[in-house]
Amino acid sequence: MAYDHMKNRELSLQEAEEKQKKLNELNAKMKQLQERLMTEFNTWGLDSKKDKDKIKEKDKLLREMQKTQRTIEKLKTGKLLSRDAKRSLVAYSFIAPNFIGFAIFTLLPVIFAFILAFMSWDGNNPIQFVGLANFKRLAEDTRFLAAIKNTIVYCIATVPFTLAAALGLAILLNKKIKGRAIFRAIGFFPYVASLIAVATVWNNLFSPGAGLVNVMLTNLGVAKQNLPGWAADADWAMFTVVAFSVWKSMGYYMVIYLAGLQGISGELYEAASLDGANALQKFRNITWPQLKPTTFFVIIMLTINCFKVYDQVYMITQGGPGTSTLVLVYHIYQTAFVTSSDYGYASAISMVLFALVLLVTVVQFRGEKNYAND
Amino acid sequence: MLNKNSKRKLNKILLYVVLITITVVMLVPFLWMVSASLKFDKDVFTVPIKWIPENPKWNNYKVIWTKIPLMKFVLNTSKITLIVTVLQLLTSSFAAYAFAKLRFKSKNALFLGYIATIAVPWQVYMVPQFIMMRSIGLNDTHLAIICLQAFSAFGVFMMRQFYQGVPDSLCEAARIDGMSEYKIYTKIMLPLSKPALSTLTIFTFVATWNDFLGPSIYLTTESKKTLQIGLRMFIGQYSSEYGLIMAASVISLIPVLIVFLCLQKYFVEGVAATGIKG
Amino acid sequence: MRKGKKVISLVLSCALVLTMFTGCGTKKNNSKEETKQEDVATDTTTDSATDTTDSTAEKTKIRWAVWDVAATTYYQPVIDAYVAKNPNVEIELVDLGSQDYMTALATQLAGNDTNLDVVTVKDIPGYTNLVSKNVLEKVDTSALDLSVYGGITEQIEINDQIYALPYRSDFWVVFYNKDIFDAAGVDYPTNDMTFEQYDDLARQVTKTDLGNEVYGAHYHTWRSAVQLFGILDGKSSIIDGNYDFLKPYYEMVLNEQKDGVCQDYATLKTSSLHYSGAFAQGNVAMMNMGSWFIPTLIEKIKIGEYTELSNWGLVKYPHAEGVEPGSTLATITSLAVTSASKNKEIATDFMNFVCGAEGAEIIASTGTFPAIKTDSVVDAISGMEGFPTDANSAEALRTANTYLEMPVYDKSAEIEVVLNDGHDYIMTETMTIDEGIAYMNKEIDKIINK
Repeated sequence: MAYDHMKNRELSLQEAEEKQKKLNELNAKMKQLQERLMTEFNTWGLDSKKDKDKIKEKDKLLREMQKTQRTIEKLKTGKLLSRDAKRSLVAYSFIAPNFIGFAIFTLLPVIFAFILAFMSWDGNNPIQFVGLANFKRLAEDTRFLAAIKNTIVYCIATVPFTLAAALGLAILLNKKIKGRAIFRAIGFFPYVASLIAVATVWNNLFSPGAGLVNVMLTNLGVAKQNLPGWAADADWAMFTVVAFSVWKSMGYYMVIYLAGLQGISGELYEAASLDGANALQKFRNITWPQLKPTTFFVIIMLTINCFKVYDQVYMITQGGPGTSTLVLVYHIYQTAFVTSSDYGYASAISMVLFALVLLVTVVQFRGEKNYAND
Repeated sequence: MLNKNSKRKLNKILLYVVLITITVVMLVPFLWMVSASLKFDKDVFTVPIKWIPENPKWNNYKVIWTKIPLMKFVLNTSKITLIVTVLQLLTSSFAAYAFAKLRFKSKNALFLGYIATIAVPWQVYMVPQFIMMRSIGLNDTHLAIICLQAFSAFGVFMMRQFYQGVPDSLCEAARIDGMSEYKIYTKIMLPLSKPALSTLTIFTFVATWNDFLGPSIYLTTESKKTLQIGLRMFIGQYSSEYGLIMAASVISLIPVLIVFLCLQKYFVEGVAATGIKG
Repeated sequence: MRKGKKVISLVLSCALVLTMFTGCGTKKNNSKEETKQEDVATDTTTDSATDTTDSTAEKTKIRWAVWDVAATTYYQPVIDAYVAKNPNVEIELVDLGSQDYMTALATQLAGNDTNLDVVTVKDIPGYTNLVSKNVLEKVDTSALDLSVYGGITEQIEINDQIYALPYRSDFWVVFYNKDIFDAAGVDYPTNDMTFEQYDDLARQVTKTDLGNEVYGAHYHTWRSAVQLFGILDGKSSIIDGNYDFLKPYYEMVLNEQKDGVCQDYATLKTSSLHYSGAFAQGNVAMMNMGSWFIPTLIEKIKIGEYTELSNWGLVKYPHAEGVEPGSTLATITSLAVTSASKNKEIATDFMNFVCGAEGAEIIASTGTFPAIKTDSVVDAISGMEGFPTDANSAEALRTANTYLEMPVYDKSAEIEVVLNDGHDYIMTETMTIDEGIAYMNKEIDKIINK
């Protein structure tokens, strides 16, 4: 700053005059902008859908005002840190405690893993750059092709069912009923229970021989040769894994939805009741739109978790029979730790996984942005 | 025509029927676990299932405490879980506030960075991460697990979504009153985010409590191991002793359920209770 | 700022890559030094014991990676015996758990820096993998007598070198339940059975009455339990890419499964029923399994847990027509010293002790088969309390040829995965036997010719 002051003093008279002129100009512009804002956009209650263009225009105006203000301040004080920069600093101070830990312990290794996709490395021998060789291998890897197909099938089957079940359960358990706490705990139970334990139980219930499910089907009159073999039957194995996943994780997303539901004001529902809205209308016009940030979060987490599915498959089918439930992360794990220690190739597979997730996330983000402009 | 009252009653009965059906579906595996934990191993798979064993083998619950150092494992896990949960709550709600309510440079890039890491399976960067942890001397320490779990992208993402739901006008008003951002965070946002915070607490607690692969890679000394490694070791060594395995599983479940029951009441006193319009 | 972030992250990741490179670089230097050190070491092995006693100030700690500490009875006696001889050494067991043992081990050894000195190598694919990573020390065999290992060490040679010493060697036998044969009035199985005789015997004792089934045979869900019948003729190999020889064995087992002679694979797989649980239920007449099951069986019957099973025996594996009886599969477990160990001499000394004659005796005394299988070791196990008293069972412990479950081959791990898939396809009847074999032929051919 001292440097700036010196510089200021050195300014010739002419320069000072120019500066003052510019400042006056800017001030005038600012005043004009402010007036426009007051006259054209003085209504706060803009509707996100109807007044889309107007909102955009308003944002543009605000940005311009900010910019002008910044230039004025810079000219006036000659300070390096604008108010904007200060604000950024405050924001960084909020983020720092988490980000530093996150960057060191997660981001850095992740970036390293990305670089590895173009390398050949077994964890010990020197790393070698191999260019795109790892990606070329993917096209010929039958297990990878099976895995990518299975993963997508798994996601398409699991995401909508889990979402619907979680939301339904949350709405149900948000009502004022007796023993609500207990019901909620029960709904959350499959998620908290140790995977090892519930998978064992699940496998025994769905055992093709004498499992409870098949015994019940027999009692319902299903012929013995028509009984599904569940996890040990190539036609039913994926279904078994999906059913297990939905059952296991719906409680988790139910909790997120329950918390989201608390954010909706009761007044909205009261007003709707006065207007004579029925339950379905209330859901469509109040609950669903109000839950948008929550749903955004749930869909992204759900999609990512589905693409990353590993534990459930490992516990229920071990990818079998054969490769009929082999999923991407299972294949990654085998490549890195079972069949070889090919970390480079494993990283390349995970890049594909990453690209898939990114695609879904970006689409979702677009959706959220439109909403957030309210 | 039904009058309003009986219609309401019918609705209520229907609701309970649905709830009880769901409950049964949810609870069958749990009942199976408890029932198996009281049986001799050879009786676990008998057909048809005997839900209530003739002579319950309560001894299973005694034996497991001596077969593995279960108490030590429970203490280790509790310590790690508590520290991780506290750190996670503090740092991620702090960071999430900035992501949701402040404008700053490269906000979107940073946030995408967070989400991007969620999408990468841990198995891929586990080895580089381990090498790094070891190089800074964290191998075989609880601190390694804490560092691994406490700064998760998930917490930031979740809290950001909840703060996003809080109307901006609240913060704007406070800013006009001359409140600093730190004050807005502590005085306005934190009290409002009770449901979100309790949700995050439960999730972090459950995730850390049930985490298995992380501790099994980092913790190699017996006295530092956690409950889930203990459970796995137990299953590995006594893979045919289902009664004991199920007893151990039931025990590992209890603390998590207690935490859930204690916190779930906050789900009803949230933003709505403070009377702010959504 | 955004640019700045990018630059920072790029720099950091480059730094990480660099450290790895340099890590590897120093490793290379190390290995050169090692060879020098080794030369010195071989000269001084005799005095090394006295050397260490001189520097009593601090105990040298050797960390030994193992699994299932609590369930394994011989770790502590072996350690006690070694420490009694070498009071300056302390051995610490590092339990990496049995289920993800190789994953945990690979991670611990990554980056050529580890605090593990001695590691247990669980299986052959794992061994091949670790050797290719250059993390195991070559075994200096100049002072060792390898003939005591009965040829096992030759089977784990890689470029004329071995990188581990076997300390346990299990082999597969047929366990049978005498009570079932008595009740059916059928003669016990013998040490000289062809597969037809074995199949016939299994069918004779089978009962398919609902609720009171007796299964003539039991095959655990591992592929080894069925596929490896095929390699006992000494001609077929599990890694040469052609699996047509498996057909008769799959036919035998699938027919048995269809006729209720053995339990359904799908059911066993989903219920993850442990083989010990299956045999203990008392309705399985014969089960092929590894000799590691012997001490468990003796112990469980002794403490009264197996109430449905008391009278059991052992016989050798059945054999194909025209092949000498007594051929069986071997599963070996070995010890190795890590290249990154800071106490290689002591670690090597410890490894030699556990895998040597003294270690073998201690291991045998706990009922486990050591890699050195002398007559006295076999006698010690067959003389244990609870071991069946008939002559055939004792005789069954003496094997003619043993073949490794999986031979040493750098693609063995990849082949193993496909073999498992093929086994799964055939046994769940997703594929017919021919389709399953064609699948294995095709996929494994791809791996071999890559």
